[in-house]
Amino acid sequence: MTIKLTLTLIIFSLILFVLISFLLNKGRITVKYALVWYISVLIILILSFFPGIFKFFAKLLGFQLVSNMVIVLLIGILFILMIAHTIMMAGQKKKTTLLIQEVSLLKKEVEKDGKSNNNNTRI
Amino acid sequence: MNSKVLIIIPAYNEEKNILNTYKSIVDFNKNNKTNYECIVINDCSTDGTKKILEDNNIPHINLIHNLGIGGAVQTGYKYAYYHDYDIAVQYDGDGQHDVAYIEKIIKPLIDKKADMVIGSRFIDKSLKGFKSSAARRIGIKVISAFIKFATGYKVYDTTSGFRAINKKVILEFASEYPSEYPEPVTDAEILKKGYKISEVPVVMKKRIGGISSIRALKSVYYMLNVCLALLVIKMRRYK
Repeated sequence: MTIKLTLTLIIFSLILFVLISFLLNKGRITVKYALVWYISVLIILILSFFPGIFKFFAKLLGFQLVSNMVIVLLIGILFILMIAHTIMMAGQKKKTTLLIQEVSLLKKEVEKDGKSNNNNTRI
Repeated sequence: MNSKVLIIIPAYNEEKNILNTYKSIVDFNKNNKTNYECIVINDCSTDGTKKILEDNNIPHINLIHNLGIGGAVQTGYKYAYYHDYDIAVQYDGDGQHDVAYIEKIIKPLIDKKADMVIGSRFIDKSLKGFKSSAARRIGIKVISAFIKFATGYKVYDTTSGFRAINKKVILEFASEYPSEYPEPVTDAEILKKGYKISEVPVVMKKRIGGISSIRALKSVYYMLNVCLALLVIKMRRYK
């Protein structure tokens, strides 16, 4: 692995680290989900500082170029994150559906056939 | 013993048909001394459906956000569960279904011969009426074969939205109901859980509206989704 690739990877992971920290600081993401990204950053950093690990695995898994393995590794991390997101999305959808249904049923009970006490239309 | 029957009518932008559908049920109750209650689930319609429901005092629930057919129908089943109905009938608001068949559809439930009854267009070949397009009939046959494969039981009209369920299945549907492709998926799930489905011949009317080429592509995607869902049910273990 060239020194240039090592540098690129370190810069890339540092940008990712700063971005995640910024979002976390602003409260745009929660610690639970930030952690996955931090771990990804850590993995990339460790591998960049110890290129020997890269070379060992590239040889073991049959990659001709170390850079190829880097790409595959990054895609692999993205795949796992995507699947995690799909799972989360399905869970969120279930929860919103439940909320919409229960609130609608409750509104029916409270307002009796959809008529509210004042004339303001509901938003 | 008189069973408490609830007719669930999911409605999305049905301003043209919903009043007639409701009136036909009220008239039927008057003429036949039946006591079917009904509830319209307004799935956040963007047309005048809500106003018609309110102006005519039609019992209804306004969903606060659009959920799609599965979520809307499930709201009806939840309502049926919370108000302790014995039988819930799913009924289309677009005038496709005929209220006169409800008696036939709920009879196997009252006689305790089935847990779920499907109003089927295909089991009595002598009956005329709307039987869907040729392409859709093939689709329904494919789904039917998949359900047979997944559960070991044959269901003919797999996508019929005219169906009735008893108290046990109301609880099942109130707690868990698929949001996508609910009809064929619930057919298979209910069978797999050990409940009994029977089919009763009904005549359906033709729905107004055309089919474009985009719909054709959508149907293929629908078929793929349903078949995958049924394969998953085949693999899954139910208590």
